[in-house]
Amino acid sequence: MATSAPNILVVEDDRETRTLIAKYLRTNACHVTTATDGREMARAMIDHRVDLLILDVMLPGEDGLSLCRKVRAESQTPIIMLTARGEDVDRILGLEMGADDYLAKPFNPRELLARINAVLRRQAAAQTASATSGANVLGFLGWRIDLRLRELRNPAGARVAMTSAEFDLLRTFCERPGRVLSRDSLLDLTQGRSAGSFERSIDVLVSRIRRKIEPDPQDATMIKTVRSGGYMFTPTVDAVAPPTGG
Amino acid sequence: MKLAGFLNLRGISGQIAALVVASIVAIHLIITATFLIHRPDQPDLSSGLRHSQVATIAQLLGATPAAGRSRLLADIAQAFPQLDLESLPPDAAAAAAAAAEETDNLDLHNLGRRLGSGYRIFSLADAKGDHKVGIALPDGAMISAKMPPDHRQPPFWGGPWMMTLLFAVISVTLLGLWAARALTAPLSSFARAAESFSLNGAAAPLPERGPEEIRSVARALNRMRERITALIDDRTRMLAAISHDLRTPITRMRLRSEFIEDGAHRERMLSDLDQMRSMLESVLSFLRNDRKLEPMTLADIASTLQLITDQFADMGHKVAYDGPGHAMATVRPDDLHRAVTNLVENAVRFGAEATIRLIPSPEQMTIEIEDDGPGISDSRKDVMLEPFVRGDDARNMDEASGFGLGLSIARSIVLAHGGELSLHDRQPHGLIVRIRMPLRQPSRQSAA
Repeated sequence: MATSAPNILVVEDDRETRTLIAKYLRTNACHVTTATDGREMARAMIDHRVDLLILDVMLPGEDGLSLCRKVRAESQTPIIMLTARGEDVDRILGLEMGADDYLAKPFNPRELLARINAVLRRQAAAQTASATSGANVLGFLGWRIDLRLRELRNPAGARVAMTSAEFDLLRTFCERPGRVLSRDSLLDLTQGRSAGSFERSIDVLVSRIRRKIEPDPQDATMIKTVRSGGYMFTPTVDAVAPPTGG
Repeated sequence: MKLAGFLNLRGISGQIAALVVASIVAIHLIITATFLIHRPDQPDLSSGLRHSQVATIAQLLGATPAAGRSRLLADIAQAFPQLDLESLPPDAAAAAAAAAEETDNLDLHNLGRRLGSGYRIFSLADAKGDHKVGIALPDGAMISAKMPPDHRQPPFWGGPWMMTLLFAVISVTLLGLWAARALTAPLSSFARAAESFSLNGAAAPLPERGPEEIRSVARALNRMRERITALIDDRTRMLAAISHDLRTPITRMRLRSEFIEDGAHRERMLSDLDQMRSMLESVLSFLRNDRKLEPMTLADIASTLQLITDQFADMGHKVAYDGPGHAMATVRPDDLHRAVTNLVENAVRFGAEATIRLIPSPEQMTIEIEDDGPGISDSRKDVMLEPFVRGDDARNMDEASGFGLGLSIARSIVLAHGGELSLHDRQPHGLIVRIRMPLRQPSRQSAA
């Protein structure tokens, strides 16, 4: 999808980490600019187009969370936060901060790359997608999928555990209901080919998702197998207003 | 206590003194009240009248010259026959005076007081059993008169000795009860507080009540508690800070290792870094326990367990899930995920195959993690639940694979759910870790 090399701005105060991330991303076909704090970040965003922001939470001066909120208030530039484990993940991904994804330090650089590609692809897809684009919560047959918090709840309101790959695949289905999606395009839309060891066969992921959401996994009605084609998500998907309060 | 506070008697000694004084005052008030009601010093009316008659007659006779005395006596005896007045012959008088001891009878004493000095009074036993008094007139002549016996009852509790004894018994009993209560109640609460002292700071401080000495002990214990808590907090913060700060160098190394040309070296490096990362995570999650709790929410436990099974299967381990496809429960999903993941990590480390089993029932949920490894001997089972205890103490430590926190983290997560975690033997060999958790009724539909 992203045909030209994306411009990525890395905001990280630790010099070593910053240059290493930049170096790693450059070797993987990205244009990278770096900033050490919020002021440099603001300058860099004025100087040139930024396709994606990688933002450390712990920054000198204004911290990553408040920078994230500021950027989100002004633009739709995708943001991936780098956090310490367990740091207010709900707030980071929730409506309050509005980051698109997060990674806990120490992270696997390949996973960072995979997340960057996934976020960029979603961003590109959202611009061409249907009525549900821009919605944070999608619903189908009583199920609710929260794209920000990355959680799935069944019609009874119970949280259903999913891996990141399973979630991305279900999300892709939900954003394109009623369309035949080939295995190749699903792979492109979810993980990207550069994801390396994170690649799971689409068939395995589909069977795992079926086991979680289908009333009868042996006789799938939601995610149907299309002979010689791939898969199709049959339920109608609606945008759901986020639940207010608790 | 109010009175003690008012008088500023804060110490045990002051309070005991106050109690003694209060008992003395109280007992004297009681005695005085009884005394005023009974008035034992005031003779009753009829006996008082008889006394004054006898006294007047005796004085009249004493003032009359000895010559006219017998005639006067006869006239008076005629006028007051009930007194049975008689003149005693001098020798009989002397004998009676010698025989009869001077009385300390209260009645006669009163009579003597009325007559004044010069008159002496004797108690005379009479043949008919009547009570008679003999009165020696100042000039030595003696008369006798019949006095009615004293019908008044002595006070119920007897004489002053009895009073004193009773007072002592009452006050000592009160004092004993009070002292026992005042001293033992705070002490047993100290014992309870010391037993329930835990490092999570949940227990309330000791109440600083009671006498000064007890309060100062309570204060000292509370201060000690604060110091211990502060000490543990400092250590915890230090450990957390160290673990936290290690992330930065590990992140750098993780990034740098991507540029290592030698593939075999890079893989070794990556696995070392992964191990360091998981050790750090286990320490941080152990330290985070009891502090920040994830909110409870309704979740599909079966999907969580299947997810863990899939994750381990993806890493090449033989892990199977045995249970229903769906099972709802209100839990902390991420914590539960972490707990079961820890247990499965142990299972696949020591065994070739592992099974995650879910047995739901209406009241509780049982999760079993079973492996076919060597198991844990009964004597080690309790120890294994403690933090920083590793099952492979006896083995070679080349593959030190953790701090030994996995099981204790899992246990504290289960305990925080109100459940219990126990270790059991599997036949023919292996270990079963059993988690039992009470099922909460799904009260809310969403917990966003």
